[in-house]
Amino acid sequence: MPNDSAVNPALEFTQLAEHRGYLLRIARMELRDEHLAEDCVSDTLTHAFEKRASFRGASSLRTWLVAILKNRIIDLLRKQWREQPLEPSPSGEQDFDALFDASGHYAEMPSAVADPAELCQQDGFLAAVQRCIDKLPKRIGQVFVLREVFGVDTKELCKDLELTSSNVWVQLYRARMMLRSCLEKGGFGHAQTETR
Amino acid sequence: MLKLKLARHPMMRISCQHASRLLSQQQDERLPFGQRLRLRIHLAVCTACSNVARQFAALRLAMQKWRDRE
Repeated sequence: MPNDSAVNPALEFTQLAEHRGYLLRIARMELRDEHLAEDCVSDTLTHAFEKRASFRGASSLRTWLVAILKNRIIDLLRKQWREQPLEPSPSGEQDFDALFDASGHYAEMPSAVADPAELCQQDGFLAAVQRCIDKLPKRIGQVFVLREVFGVDTKELCKDLELTSSNVWVQLYRARMMLRSCLEKGGFGHAQTETR
Repeated sequence: MLKLKLARHPMMRISCQHASRLLSQQQDERLPFGQRLRLRIHLAVCTACSNVARQFAALRLAMQKWRDRE
């Protein structure tokens, strides 16, 4: 092990601030609110600087900062969601009934993806994914981004956001199904040149 | 043929709707053995759900790339 720990107390604020752009990007995606995102990121950097001695160097600096940001965001969302519980939509699966026929089979064949890795290399695919995420209903998008970008697992989601596990599964399921059809519409697989 | 028989067996048979839910859940945690088995058998005979499985895989990969880029 390199003796990184020796240099940590000397962590400069500028080193932390280098990650500001990245943190802002993921905070915006999660919160969908420019000001809130900036506040959270500034808090994160200030807090990280105060606690710089506790950065062990075992993970990358960015990973450490993302973890701090994640905690800020979770605290914020817990408060927001407590004040504004989800509208009572019992299971949330009715929306997808149209996708399936009476026997529970897909009414329309989902499009084939020959090679997921190759698809991700295609120009415009990541941008299309981001556009589709921004179009998700807010709460569903927030759960999805916490899961996929911040790497929060379903147990943490339940505990930290006071959700039931079936609720979390339904929200993630809905997010993925909506993203799937959104990407299909945009020509999933065929790098769609900007049509909008 | 065995796969087809298995997939139609009342104990093993699941709908595409159910299979899709399991596919999503599988991205977040390990499914219990019985569900994993039913899903596997379903995927072996169902093109639609196999396509969905690959779409989900692509989505997961895209999110990873998004997360890793500077």
